[in-house]
Amino acid sequence: MKNNLRIALISKDCELSSQLSIHIESKGHQVIVFNNESLVLGYIYSDPSDIIIINFQFSETNFHGLISEIKKDCYFGTIPIIGLIDENTHNNIEWKDCPIDDFITLPFKYNELFSRISLAKNRIQRIFDNNPLTKLPGNTSIQKAIENTIGAPMSVCYLDINNFKPYNDTFGFTRGDEVIRMTARIISNAVRQTGDGGFAGHIGGDDFVFIVKNESAEFVCKTIINNFNIIASDLFEEEVKHKGFYIAKDRQGNENKIYLLTLAIAVVPMNTPQINHYGKVAEIAAELKKYAKKFTESKYVINRRKR
Amino acid sequence: MGNKVNEIKRIVQDTKSLPTLPGIVLKISKLAEDDKSSVNEIARLISSDHILSAKVLKLVNSPFYGFSGRVSTISNALILLGVNVIRSLALSSSIFEIMEKSVVGLWEHSFGAAVAANTIAKILQLPDAEEISTAALLHDIGKAIIKIKLEEDYNQLISIIKEKDISMIDAEHEFLGTGHPEIGEWIARTWFLPEKLIEPIACHHNVKKSVIHKTKTAAVHLADILVKASDFGFSGDDIVPRIQTEAWDKLDLNEKILEEIVQETEDRLIEAKNFSLEIQTSGEKQS
Ligand SMILES: [Fe+2]
Ligand SMILES: [Fe+2]
Repeated sequence: MKNNLRIALISKDCELSSQLSIHIESKGHQVIVFNNESLVLGYIYSDPSDIIIINFQFSETNFHGLISEIKKDCYFGTIPIIGLIDENTHNNIEWKDCPIDDFITLPFKYNELFSRISLAKNRIQRIFDNNPLTKLPGNTSIQKAIENTIGAPMSVCYLDINNFKPYNDTFGFTRGDEVIRMTARIISNAVRQTGDGGFAGHIGGDDFVFIVKNESAEFVCKTIINNFNIIASDLFEEEVKHKGFYIAKDRQGNENKIYLLTLAIAVVPMNTPQINHYGKVAEIAAELKKYAKKFTESKYVINRRKR
Repeated sequence: MGNKVNEIKRIVQDTKSLPTLPGIVLKISKLAEDDKSSVNEIARLISSDHILSAKVLKLVNSPFYGFSGRVSTISNALILLGVNVIRSLALSSSIFEIMEKSVVGLWEHSFGAAVAANTIAKILQLPDAEEISTAALLHDIGKAIIKIKLEEDYNQLISIIKEKDISMIDAEHEFLGTGHPEIGEWIARTWFLPEKLIEPIACHHNVKKSVIHKTKTAAVHLADILVKASDFGFSGDDIVPRIQTEAWDKLDLNEKILEEIVQETEDRLIEAKNFSLEIQTSGEKQS
């Protein structure tokens, strides 16, 4: 286990909190104690901890809002949450609504708690194939998510950034990585804002996938394009923004006119008979994207063919 | 003196968050969730508050997100963080228990400066208008640090100002050995805010000192003077400084255009006053 973990402890029981703190600190970790849940999110968002421990004992809330808020965000969702539960609470918890990673029954042995912490951290690393750059789920999760939506009134949307490679080559990979991270946030926020689930994943490089309900697809595409244009325009100097392109040398030393960063999105509704397996989705999307990329501005194209 | 400056630097480094007015937080908590119009309203509320804005910009520029300290406007922060994160961040902010006159005064002064800066940017057609307003909103963040983290020193400063009839910044240099622009710069650097915002904060009392973002600094300098001249809010003293020549030159001002700016600012500060009263009364109802 990585030493010096930062552990957020949410517990009404002050005696337990101070005992736990001493034990945790004696192992070289750091504890931040919260007596109630109201300040937790703001804290986690501004200074994320490595583990969250929630004491469900003596608490009138079930921490549902807090837990789902953290777990729904791809950045914070990978922080393991461990519940402290007493004999009586077991039956009261609806596990479906309580997506924590593990629990331990009170009273517990400290050795067991530390093992659980270690296990939870490792398990999260095992099940998540998240992209290290964007923290969005990777290809295994994407394939699973697409397969699960075959036949459903959902749209699988493939997105990539036009002119990303020359941007990366001209301004360096640090700036390139920034664009990728920003794009990831823009996509996952837009998907999340629809309020009815959805999925956002990162294939790799400048290729992303997101899945939303058919009726939200156009709105989400527009939001993503709009927000991307706002963010991307801030990446260029005033003069370049004005002209709409910059001059860059390619690997052979030839000077090329490079247009600014834009998006191409291929939207594939999944409830048509034409789509019967995972590979077909990617195939259709590739065709649509070829068309979307013919434009110099950002474009989304929806698959209208029924067979 | 040296010790005092070091002490302040240490306090700045340890400052993770600052309290804000209850009225703003209350208003944000009342907005319905996931409603498109409420997203803009949340952005507007946050953009009126120097503490919350600093907090949001601190988060979006933190190394955790990996945007390399580039994000300098609240609307971009909202796009990148998402409305849920911003809402939770605002709602979990600590608030002032008592609405002290000096706290409300500084809040109004900062908000008023942002309004004035926005007017200046619009009339002079300066690029990056939103960044200029944000920089103006944050320009006296150093004073907030003194007021909140060095309460005794702040009170001392106020009595020195009254006694000697000098400006806040002169009193600061005399008594603390440093000034709020420096303190503001330290906190802005500690919180990884972009250079575009740091320079106007650090140089708004000395435009000459600014190197890269001189136009923004000049606009913020002018905005600060205009709110003071309009007697809007309270920034620690009542002295209205002169517009520095560097600012005149950089903004290419003349009497006529300045008059237009002053007029428009006055008009918009009336609206701002109404908003401020709304915030103050909703904060009082709370307690
Ligand atoms: Fe100032
Ligand atoms: Fe000021």
